[in-house]
Amino acid sequence: MKLFKQKKGIILLFLLFAIGFSPVHTLGVGSSVRTRPIIISIVPKSLDNPMLVEAKEAAEFTARRLNVQVEWVGPFKVDVETQIKIVEGLIRRKVDGIAVSCSDQERLRPVIDKAVAAGIKVATIEADAPESNRLFYCGTDNYAAGVECGKAMIRIVTAKGWADRELNTVILTGGAKSHDLNERIRGFKDTTAGRIKLNYQTLLICDEDTTTAAKEVEAYLKKHPETDAFFFTGGWAFLGPPEAMPVYDQWCRNGGITVAMDTSYPVLQAALEGFAQALVGQDYQKMGEFTVSYLVCAIKDLPIPSDFIDTGLELADETNFSQLLQTKKPWDIK
Amino acid sequence: MKKFIKAGRRLFRDVFRLRSLRTKFIISFTGLILIPLILLAFLSYYTYLEILQQNVRTYTETVINRVERNLQIYLSDLERILELRNDYYILQFLKLSMIDDIEGNQKYTYRLWENLNNIKKYKTDLREVAITTLKGVKIGCYGVTNVDLSQNELFQILANRTTQDNIMAIYGPHDDWLGGKVFSVGCGIYGDYDNFLGIMSIDVEIDLLARICSDIRLGKTGYVTLVDQNGQIIFHPQAELVGKSVGLLLGNPVGESWRSGYYTYGNRVIMGKTLTLANWSIIGISDRAELVAEMTTVARMSFALIVGSIIVVILVALLLAGVLTKPLKELQSSMRAAADNLNTIVPVRTYDEIGQLGRTFNQMLTRIRRLMRQSVQEQKKLRQIEMRALQEQIKPHFIYNTLEVIIGLLETNQNEDVIRMVEALGAFFRISLSQGRELIRIKEEVDHVRNYLYIQKLRHGEKYDYRFEVENDITHFKTLKLLLQPLVENAIYHGVRSLESNDGLIIVKGYQAEEMICFEVIDNGRGMPASQVTAINRYLRGERLEEQEKYGFGLRNVHERIVLAFGQEYGLWLTSTLDQGTKVVLRLPLIKEDGWA
Repeated sequence: MKLFKQKKGIILLFLLFAIGFSPVHTLGVGSSVRTRPIIISIVPKSLDNPMLVEAKEAAEFTARRLNVQVEWVGPFKVDVETQIKIVEGLIRRKVDGIAVSCSDQERLRPVIDKAVAAGIKVATIEADAPESNRLFYCGTDNYAAGVECGKAMIRIVTAKGWADRELNTVILTGGAKSHDLNERIRGFKDTTAGRIKLNYQTLLICDEDTTTAAKEVEAYLKKHPETDAFFFTGGWAFLGPPEAMPVYDQWCRNGGITVAMDTSYPVLQAALEGFAQALVGQDYQKMGEFTVSYLVCAIKDLPIPSDFIDTGLELADETNFSQLLQTKKPWDIK
Repeated sequence: MKKFIKAGRRLFRDVFRLRSLRTKFIISFTGLILIPLILLAFLSYYTYLEILQQNVRTYTETVINRVERNLQIYLSDLERILELRNDYYILQFLKLSMIDDIEGNQKYTYRLWENLNNIKKYKTDLREVAITTLKGVKIGCYGVTNVDLSQNELFQILANRTTQDNIMAIYGPHDDWLGGKVFSVGCGIYGDYDNFLGIMSIDVEIDLLARICSDIRLGKTGYVTLVDQNGQIIFHPQAELVGKSVGLLLGNPVGESWRSGYYTYGNRVIMGKTLTLANWSIIGISDRAELVAEMTTVARMSFALIVGSIIVVILVALLLAGVLTKPLKELQSSMRAAADNLNTIVPVRTYDEIGQLGRTFNQMLTRIRRLMRQSVQEQKKLRQIEMRALQEQIKPHFIYNTLEVIIGLLETNQNEDVIRMVEALGAFFRISLSQGRELIRIKEEVDHVRNYLYIQKLRHGEKYDYRFEVENDITHFKTLKLLLQPLVENAIYHGVRSLESNDGLIIVKGYQAEEMICFEVIDNGRGMPASQVTAINRYLRGERLEEQEKYGFGLRNVHERIVLAFGQEYGLWLTSTLDQGTKVVLRLPLIKEDGWA
């Protein structure tokens, strides 16, 4: 894995050099030829999810470096219909490259294929649509991320001496049809199965909205204080102020276990407050950087090393929360 | 024109000459009712048409004003929303974008996404609220995109304003990049030194215009359409016409007059008004055919009314004509009967003019009957008088005496005188009889008297003489026969024959005085006292006197015959002076061969 990452970095550097940072790109559009900057549009599941701010920033820096234009377009809230419309619009605009974070891979697959058919280089970012004709997926190995989360849960439960106890477990996810999140759940469940006794009570869905996530958790705990463990497939619940989750706060203090995805600054801050015992993070910077870079390569008809650009995982627990936090840039967007 | 008037007159004359009174009445009555009715129908039709057109115009104007008001309100709301363009986060975003501060701008990017999406919720028709920088970066509700500013019309409009202008600009309709039909409004954003930083724009779904205008109907098929400043249709109930030239609706070439005012084009009634805020034109288009159809209904109703009225009027006219002309017909029938039978009586049932006419006719018949009776009596009397006059003239002793004179002449062989005497006597009787004629010429009457005087002179010798002074001019006029002879006879027997001397003279004068024929029989005989003259004249005028026989039947007979024949203004007048003579004046009308002059 590590070797692959090194190879991938070398290849990327080579490719970037090969691209030559040409300021403009000559494109064949229909029967006419016109000259304009390369446009790459990244379509997140929603705009209001600050998780991807690092990816956006990295994409914009990369675009500037490569002298291309990057756009960040998506529905304000998770809304697959709007996402489809946006991709349709990008096809009409004949952008050069599209990277989609799929909130519903099944629904988005046709429009992705349509864009591919229109000659646009299409990739997926963060959330894949593997069945589609997209060029590559750039993001986390979500199953592996789920596995890491499961391992962390086993460690914590075992450490607490609850390995033989049936634990009322709740999963909070962003969307029921989101492939990446479902992969995480699958990895988590596969890993914990037979090792600890997690009794899954329900699946809370927050549409990747921070406020909704916090409200769902609070509401559930009020009704079910007997809950023992949470698995958050994303860090949405921690992106808001900790004061917004007093019941959860008390539940944590009472020994509740939470393993969550994401190691962004506010999530790490929340973890330090005791809101989570283990975190598995994604590298959003790489997502932004690699997505733009490889799409530019594709547009330049340069080879892509793989259809899966793995951006790796970042593991965190109570032992390194503080250390990691110092490496992160605080968010100033909420 | 004159020809028509002449033909009309001829027709009028022919109609009124040929038709019966009943027909004339029906025609007149029908005409009198129908002409005002038809005029009223036409007047009503055109008045209704005028009112209808006015109502259509007023309604269209109201509708257009309502559309304008709704659009103005909506655009004003958008204008107020655009006032948010000076928000701190927007300005910061623009400034950081200018210096390509990617890292520093993340905060404002996320903030603006949230704010712009919140603004979008203000109205359901808003599709995009965005800020566009001078570098062509557009941040809106769907993220950050790059736009070609040279192709962005709204940006160009606002950027090309020479001075800071807070007036909202409008562009569209156009397709947005998400495939929706929108029109865009926007305002420029200026920095601290009035430097142009970019624009804030709002994309509004074009369906808004449909929501405002599509439910509006002008009549059954009329509608409201919107046209932009370039003459492109931006809203039309038929979506396929959107984007087409207004010339398709109003005909090519199309000027600018349709933008305001009211006029008709072909079968359409068009009213336009300019929406100043957007420089769009709101055009109301109504179908004249609807107006015409409505007017056709009115015309049909009017026609039916006229036809119905004609039928009713003719029926009423027939009824009234029957009621009014029935007495006339009865009168006419009675008059025809009266031609054969004067004893006919017209039945009078009313007190109107026809009743009066009937009564007058009855009175006239009564009078005619009375006059006829009177006439019969007078004729009878006249015949009696004539007979008596004839009897007076042909007295047996006159004949005997005359015959004795003739015998005497024969005995003395005065054959010439005998011949002359017999001729005179023959002429005397011939004229007396006159083949039964009542009127004879004055010449004959004078000859008759002349023969009479000749015979009497032969009988009476040199006792008196006579002379005729009759104007030749009057001899061809006519007179009743045997008028002068009794007067001459009186002059002989009561005047000159009893004179002691032989210088008696009888003068018979005849002349024309004004419009009358006058005869005077003058003698220089014994005359009469004035009292007797008066008595005779009174007797002549019809008074009954105690001793009337002595005043002579002859004078009275002559006078009555004249009065019966010619009237009271004619007749005899007697003047006489005792021992000096008598003059009888006889006045007659001028009677020519074929009647009175």
